[in-house]
Amino acid sequence: MSNVAVVGAGQTHHARRRTDVSQVGLAREAAVRALQDAELTMDDIDSVIVATGPVLFAAVNQPEKWLVDALGARLKPVVRVTSGGGTGLAGALAAVNQIKGGFAERVLVVAYDKLSEGALQYSISTLYDPFWGREFAVGIMGFSAAYWKARMDLLGHTEEAAALVSVKNHRNALLNPYAHVRKEVTVEDVLASRPLCWPIKLLDVPPISDGACAVILAGEDAAKRSADPAWIRGMAYYSEGENAADRSMIQSEPLRIAAEKVYREAGISNPRRQVDVVEVQEPYTCFELSYYEGLGLCPPGGAAQLIESGATQIDGDIPVNPSGGCMGANPIGATALIRLAEIAQQVRGRAGAYQIPDAKVGLMQAGGGWANLRGVAVVSSTKN
Amino acid sequence: MSQLFTSPDVPQVLTTTLSIPYTLTPGGAAGQFLAGLAERRILGSRCEPCARTVVPAQDVCGRCGEQTPDLVELPHGGTVTSWTAHQGRVVAKIRLDGADADLLHVVAAEPGAVEVGDRVAADWAAEPTGWITDLAAFTPGRARSGPAEATPVARAETSVEMVPYRLDLTYHHAYGPYYGRMFDELGSFSRLMGSRCSSCHRVLLPARAICDVCFARTDQFDEVSDTGVLQAFSVIHMEFVGQTRKPPYVYAEIVLDGSSTRLIHTVAGDFDLADAASTLSIGMKVKAVWKPESERVGTLEDIAYFEPVIP
Ligand SMILES: [Zn+2]
Ligand SMILES: [Zn+2]
Repeated sequence: MSNVAVVGAGQTHHARRRTDVSQVGLAREAAVRALQDAELTMDDIDSVIVATGPVLFAAVNQPEKWLVDALGARLKPVVRVTSGGGTGLAGALAAVNQIKGGFAERVLVVAYDKLSEGALQYSISTLYDPFWGREFAVGIMGFSAAYWKARMDLLGHTEEAAALVSVKNHRNALLNPYAHVRKEVTVEDVLASRPLCWPIKLLDVPPISDGACAVILAGEDAAKRSADPAWIRGMAYYSEGENAADRSMIQSEPLRIAAEKVYREAGISNPRRQVDVVEVQEPYTCFELSYYEGLGLCPPGGAAQLIESGATQIDGDIPVNPSGGCMGANPIGATALIRLAEIAQQVRGRAGAYQIPDAKVGLMQAGGGWANLRGVAVVSSTKN
Repeated sequence: MSQLFTSPDVPQVLTTTLSIPYTLTPGGAAGQFLAGLAERRILGSRCEPCARTVVPAQDVCGRCGEQTPDLVELPHGGTVTSWTAHQGRVVAKIRLDGADADLLHVVAAEPGAVEVGDRVAADWAAEPTGWITDLAAFTPGRARSGPAEATPVARAETSVEMVPYRLDLTYHHAYGPYYGRMFDELGSFSRLMGSRCSSCHRVLLPARAICDVCFARTDQFDEVSDTGVLQAFSVIHMEFVGQTRKPPYVYAEIVLDGSSTRLIHTVAGDFDLADAASTLSIGMKVKAVWKPESERVGTLEDIAYFEPVIP
């Protein structure tokens, strides 16, 4: 199987509301930065994948058509991919498969959401069955909070441990020039912040952002012409149904399967030791704790101890979210692709103020829902 | 097996309306185009290398993909290049003088009175609102205002940054045989009926044709108890658009006795919500509290809430 690499990445300055650009202008800003980063032009791009959240977020159906001219993608193949919170990674996976399938040599993936324009929780609540459950739905937050409470009881994912995630990611975001939120918070601030869906409190929750990210993926021959490709050593994305019987809401089964597959592809048997840096998509702080376990960075029930040990701090032995993660910015449709972009920039040595020294192997995770959409990728500075 | 209750009074579809407010961002050039309409100016954008002028103004030339083309002010007159009638109105593509692409708008004329090639002129709304309708319509005849030809203009200082908008989307969801019977039973007898898997015998609520676990068909309806176990809960303090209950309240996932699936509902009763975190516990028994019969409408909201069962 041919190899695929990230050869360029870019993102917008994220904000609560970008009044200076439309959705289209936002997407373009990221695409232009990715092309500059890759030292390529649109002439070098064979195919474009647009990844955005549900169209209800911003009231434009088939936004990919709207983007064609703005991206300079006229008369190129342009399709849209969407998959809840994992949309950006689902888009990247589609690009990888276009390259592996021989359809394209270089693919531009552009992911964005302009969440300032719509009613977020209401739009998300429409993922519930209109007959059964939607009347009580509270976006994704109500049931995330409910099962975090369950994990608290079973796995010790305490409010204090989650607060440490908030403190760490907020602090890291101070180093990120594109972050939307840049302020330091303390454990006490997090614990005392207003409950939204208890146990989820205001400072457990990332901002709601306008933002975009673009990544350029290339096949082996094209990638070799790049100075510093980030090779994709494995990438997977798995799902399960929302109201299926007997679902385990404690550990995510799709995450376990995705991680197993990607680790096998990448030759990783001990992620804690073999991975240099990790980026995860944490829609709420409690998610990051469960990813530690789902990704095998610690045993089940070990997440609170892992964050308390400092190992996942930027100077720890397994730094998680040196970019600040979602706490820095959370334009949902773009967020998963931002994680891939950040991890690629780490192994390319282009992560700026939050570069992990000598990062060679990076792990990223993304997904949507409480447990049901999960993707994982491993990238490295070497092909194998 | 699905023995449907076939009373003609039973609705076949559930009609729901999503009513969602938006604030749209036109962005740079389009924002300036909208701001220009309030001053009765029609702004387009011109890409010099491509020698093309489009209207409304765009930040990017669609031909060459280059950013920030120059803005031009266009004449108020143009020619109809195609048209159709929609709900009694003429909707036309209009090629403004000096433009290289058409503008889609309304022509204020009877459908029979418009032809391709007709000359039309901009007609302005009396009170501008910052939307495309500030250019109210085009009317047949010659323009009596506006520049004589496309004229370069500096990027305007004023821009419409935000446009309020709303989507009202009405859907008619078919119940189908499984939900049909389940809601009939709920409405007629206030009982919850799931479907039982022919292979693993799990009872699935809401009722469905195929078991999610073993993919075998379900082959009978089974009544599920209105008591169950609290599997997870949170306390909702947040308010949001479209919310059906007033916070604070408990969001609960309950596995009803006799079923293998999660039911989303609320837990309330003789306790203070401020103490919910300590009063409620995962694994606790809960029981449905039904609304008075006169208030039941055949939905899950016929259950007012679940209350903890104190052993
Ligand atoms: Zn051009
Ligand atoms: Zn079964």
